[in-house]
Amino acid sequence: MPLVTIDEQPLEVEPGTLIIQAADRLGIEVPRFCYHPDLRPEGNCRMCLVEVKGYPRLAVACATPVVDGMIVSTPHTSALAQGAVRGVLEFLLVNHPLDCPICDQAGECSLQDFYMHPHYGLHSSEVDPSEKVRKRKAIDLGPRVVLDSERCVMCSRCVRFSAEVSGASELQFVQRGNHVELKAFEDRALADPYAGNLVDICPVGALTSKDFRFKCRVWHLEHTDSICAGCSTGCNLRIDHYRGEIQRLVPRRNPAVNRSWLCDEGRLSYRALSAAPRLTQPRVRHDGTHDDVDWEEALAAADQGLHAARTVGRPTAVAALASTSATNEALLLFKRYVASTFVAPLLDCRFGQEDRWVEEREDALLRRRDKHPNTRGAMLLDLAETPDGGLRQMLARAREGAIDAALLLYYPPLVRQEDPATLEALAALLHAVPFSVVLTTHEGAWCRGASVVLPVAAWSEEVGTYTNYAGVVQRVGQALAPPGAARSAVQVLGDLLARAGRARASTAPGALFAELVATVPTYAGLAYESLVSRAADVYPPEGRMAYGQEGFAGH
Amino acid sequence: MERILTAQAGHDDQRTLAAARSRGAYEGLRRALDLTPQEVITAVTESGLRGRGGAGFPTGRKWAFIRPQPGQAVYLLCNADESEPGTFKDHYLLERDPHLVLEGVCIAAYAIGAHTAYIYLRGEYASLGRILESALAEARAAGLIGATLLDSSVALQIRMQLGAGAYICGEETGLIQSLEGRRGYPRVRPPFPAVHGFVNQPTVVNNVETLANLPWIMTHGTDAFARIGTEKSTGTKLISVCGAVNRPGVYEVEMGYPLSEFLDHEAGGILEGRALKAVIPGGTSVPVLTAQETEGVTIDFESMQHAGTMLGSGGMIVFDETASMPHALATMADFYAHESCGECTPCREGTGWMAWIIARLLAGQGRPDDLERLLRIGNNIEGRTICGLGDAAVQPVRSIITKFRPEFEALLPAVIDSRPDWQRHEHGPRTARHGDPAREATLSEPVTGPPTARL
Repeated sequence: MPLVTIDEQPLEVEPGTLIIQAADRLGIEVPRFCYHPDLRPEGNCRMCLVEVKGYPRLAVACATPVVDGMIVSTPHTSALAQGAVRGVLEFLLVNHPLDCPICDQAGECSLQDFYMHPHYGLHSSEVDPSEKVRKRKAIDLGPRVVLDSERCVMCSRCVRFSAEVSGASELQFVQRGNHVELKAFEDRALADPYAGNLVDICPVGALTSKDFRFKCRVWHLEHTDSICAGCSTGCNLRIDHYRGEIQRLVPRRNPAVNRSWLCDEGRLSYRALSAAPRLTQPRVRHDGTHDDVDWEEALAAADQGLHAARTVGRPTAVAALASTSATNEALLLFKRYVASTFVAPLLDCRFGQEDRWVEEREDALLRRRDKHPNTRGAMLLDLAETPDGGLRQMLARAREGAIDAALLLYYPPLVRQEDPATLEALAALLHAVPFSVVLTTHEGAWCRGASVVLPVAAWSEEVGTYTNYAGVVQRVGQALAPPGAARSAVQVLGDLLARAGRARASTAPGALFAELVATVPTYAGLAYESLVSRAADVYPPEGRMAYGQEGFAGH
Repeated sequence: MERILTAQAGHDDQRTLAAARSRGAYEGLRRALDLTPQEVITAVTESGLRGRGGAGFPTGRKWAFIRPQPGQAVYLLCNADESEPGTFKDHYLLERDPHLVLEGVCIAAYAIGAHTAYIYLRGEYASLGRILESALAEARAAGLIGATLLDSSVALQIRMQLGAGAYICGEETGLIQSLEGRRGYPRVRPPFPAVHGFVNQPTVVNNVETLANLPWIMTHGTDAFARIGTEKSTGTKLISVCGAVNRPGVYEVEMGYPLSEFLDHEAGGILEGRALKAVIPGGTSVPVLTAQETEGVTIDFESMQHAGTMLGSGGMIVFDETASMPHALATMADFYAHESCGECTPCREGTGWMAWIIARLLAGQGRPDDLERLLRIGNNIEGRTICGLGDAAVQPVRSIITKFRPEFEALLPAVIDSRPDWQRHEHGPRTARHGDPAREATLSEPVTGPPTARL
C-alpha cells in the first residue's frame, strides 16, 4: 500500500486515496471549499494547494492521488503553500460582499473561518467596496432555497450535487471571469426533493435555507445527534435546537446509510411535531368525556381496566398494537408487558403494510415507502409474525365482539399524512372494544373513544434505538423535554409492568438495550455505547476551526 | 528556403480538391499508409516536429502516450480554435489550403489509431467553416476519407465543430469539454487527455499548423525535415505579424531565422520609419521583448526561451516608439479578464482585479502601490490555476510593467490621495468595467502617442 508523509507524519493508504483524504485521516486540516467526500473532486477553489516534493508546482490535495513515497507539506509546514493559500483566499474576498452581519451563514461559514485564521487570512483590505463586482441577491429558488450570487465562491458543490447525486441537474454557472454566477435555468424553482442538501454543502452564505434563515443565529444552537424518523432508511441527522424548540435538522455523514444527505421531507419532519396540539396530561373517560387526571389515577385506571380483561382468561381477548415508530426499547417493554400479562393476546405492530414496504425504495437516493423508522426493529421482535395480522384483523375481531380490551402505542407519521383509513380503523376499534388504553403524542379525533389516554414523548424527546430497513441499529437522541406531563413510552410501559406485578424493569437505555441484545439473535455482540457514529464518519469533521486561535482546534 | 506549409497556398484554386491533388495533396497520406502506424509515429518523433499551438511539446511523444485499453476508441482533435491575440496563422492555412490540414488530420489519425477526428473551429471563423465543409465534402465524395482512407482498409470520419467564441476552448481540456457539449471549463490534470480525453477515451489534440507539417514530412522524409531549422527547433514556423509594421501578414520562416531580419524584410520595417519599441513574439501570453532585447534573437523555441520569452503561437505584435504600453497592457488585461472562464479562483478573480487596477491607472486614479499590487497579484495567480490561462494573463502584466515602468509611474497622480480606501473612489471610475462604455471612452484618448499606437 502506498506510503505518504504529510507534514512529517507517515500514513499508509489504499491506492487511489487523495492527499486531502490522507490528511483528514491524520487529523491535519487542509482548507477547502470545493472538495466534498461524497462528490467527485473538481479542484477549482485552489484552497487545498500543498507542496509535493519533486513536483514543479503546487498540487491540489483534493484531486491529486497519493503515490508511494510522496512527501507532502501543507500550509501548516510549507511557507510556499501557506502563501499560495493566503493568495487564493484574498482572491475569494476581492468581490465578496461585506455583509457577514446580515448573512445567515455567519458562524458556520468556511470563508469567515478561514479569514479569521492567521495562516490564511486577516489580510488588510485592498479593494474599495465600490469596486466590487455586484451580482444578484436574494434570488428565490423555490420553496427550500434562497440564492445570493454575490456570496458564492463558485466551488460548484451544488452544481455537482444536483448533477451527480440527486440527478435533478437544475444548477449551472453562467457568464465568465469574475462575472460568473450560479443560476437555475430561468430562475425556476428547484423541484429537487433533496434541495435542502444544497444549503448544507454550500460552504458560504450563497445558498441559504428558506426554512431556517433568520430564525436563529447558529452560535446559539445546541446540537443533539439522532436518527431521522421519517422513513425506514434511518438517515443520520443532527437536531439543532434553541430554548426548547427545534430550529432545523441537518444530516450527519454516515457512508453506510445516508452518506452526507437528507431528503427534504426528513429535514422538515420536525414541523409535524407541532402541526397538531400535543397531549400534555393523562386523560380518563368518564361518562363519555375525557377528564385530565394525574399519572397515578391514569395508570391505576389503565391497570384496573386491563386487569379485568386479563382475568377473563379468554385467549385473544386483548388486542395490543404498537407503532413501528416506537424505539426498540419501547417495543421490547410493550411486548413484554402484553405477552407476560395476557393469555395469547393479539400482538402486532402493523397499522398498514409496514413490513411489506420496509425495503421498498421511493427513489434512487434515500427515501423509502415505509414511513416508520423502526419497522425492521419491530419485525426482529416478532411483532409482525401472524399473516394478515395487525390493525385490520383486530378491528374485524373486535366487531365480532371477541376483543375485551385494546392497548395501543401510536405515533403520527412525521412525513406525509396518516392514511385516513388507518385513523378511521383506529377510531372504530376503540369504539368496538369495552376498554382501551392509548399511548400517543398528539391530540386526535380518532382517540376520543379511548378509555385512558396516556401522553408520551415524541421523536426528539426520548432516547432509544431504531433498526433501519437493512438492520443497522442506530441511537436516537433526546434534544427536548416532553411537553407538560408527557413521559417516555418506556417509562409508562415500565410503570404498567410494575403495576401488573411484574418486576419493575430498568428503563435506563443501556440496560434495556442489553436485554434487547439478549432477546434478538441478530443483535448479538452489539453494545449501546458503541452505536454512536464515529467522529470520522461525520462531515464536516468534528473539531472545526476556532476563531483567532493559532492552528485548528484539536490539531 | 523550402516552404513546407505555404508552398501551394498562393494558388487561388488550391481550395478545390482537383487543384490541390494536381499539386501533390494526399501524397503524404499515401506514403503514411505504406508505413505501419508505429512507423509514422517514429518518423514524426525523429523529425523533431514540436507542437505549433504554443507549448512546443514534441508531437511524436504526445502520440506515443496513446495506449488504448481494449474496447476504447481513440480520438484525434484538431485544434482550430485559434484565438491567441495577435495570431492568425491557422486562419491562413484553413482559408488557403484546407486539404493540407485535412491530409495532416488523416496522417495523425492513422498514426494514433483514431477512426474519428474532429476539427474544432473557432466560433469567429465561421466563414472558414464553409471552406472546410466543402473541402470535407469533396474529400468524402472522392473516397479519400470515410469508410476507407484513400484505398486502404482504414476508416476515418472527420467532422467539423464550430465553437461559440471562447478563448478558453482553445485550451485542450476546455476544447474537449466544449466538444462534449459542456461548459468550456478546463479539467484538472492528471488524468491527461491521452488517458481520459474526449468522452473519456484516449485523445490527442493537435494544432492546425502542427498537422499541416505532416504531409511534407511523409513525402520528403524525416531527415529532410530535421535538416531545416535548428537542432531542437526543426522545420519552419508560420509567423503572423501585426502592429506597427509596414507589411503585416502571415509569413513562413525557417526556424532560427533572425527576428530583426524578419522585422526588416518580411514585415517591411517599422511603420513610417519609426524606431522599434517592443515585440511580443508569440501571442500576448508570452513576455514582451524590448527593442534592445530583440537583438540577436532568432525565431525558434530555444532562442526565445533564452531571451526570456516564448515562441508561443507565432502571433507577433510589434510596437513602435509612439506606442503607449499602459494602453496596450490595458487591452490585454481586459482580454484575459473577459476570457477567463471563471472556473478556478486565482484566474477568475485575479484577471479581473488586474484589469480593474490598470483601468484606474489609465484614468489617473492609480494608487502609489498599484504597480507592486499588480505584480503581487500576478505572483498569486501564476502556477496556481487549473489551466495555463492564468499563467498567460500574468506574462504581459509582469513583463510590460517591469520593462516599461516609467510609463506607468507617469500615470500615478502627482498628488497622493491620503483619504482612506473606502472614501477614495466616491467619484472614481465606479462603473468602469471591461466592455463598459465609460471605459472605452477613456481608451480612445491615449495619454501619449497617436491612435496608431493602440492595438
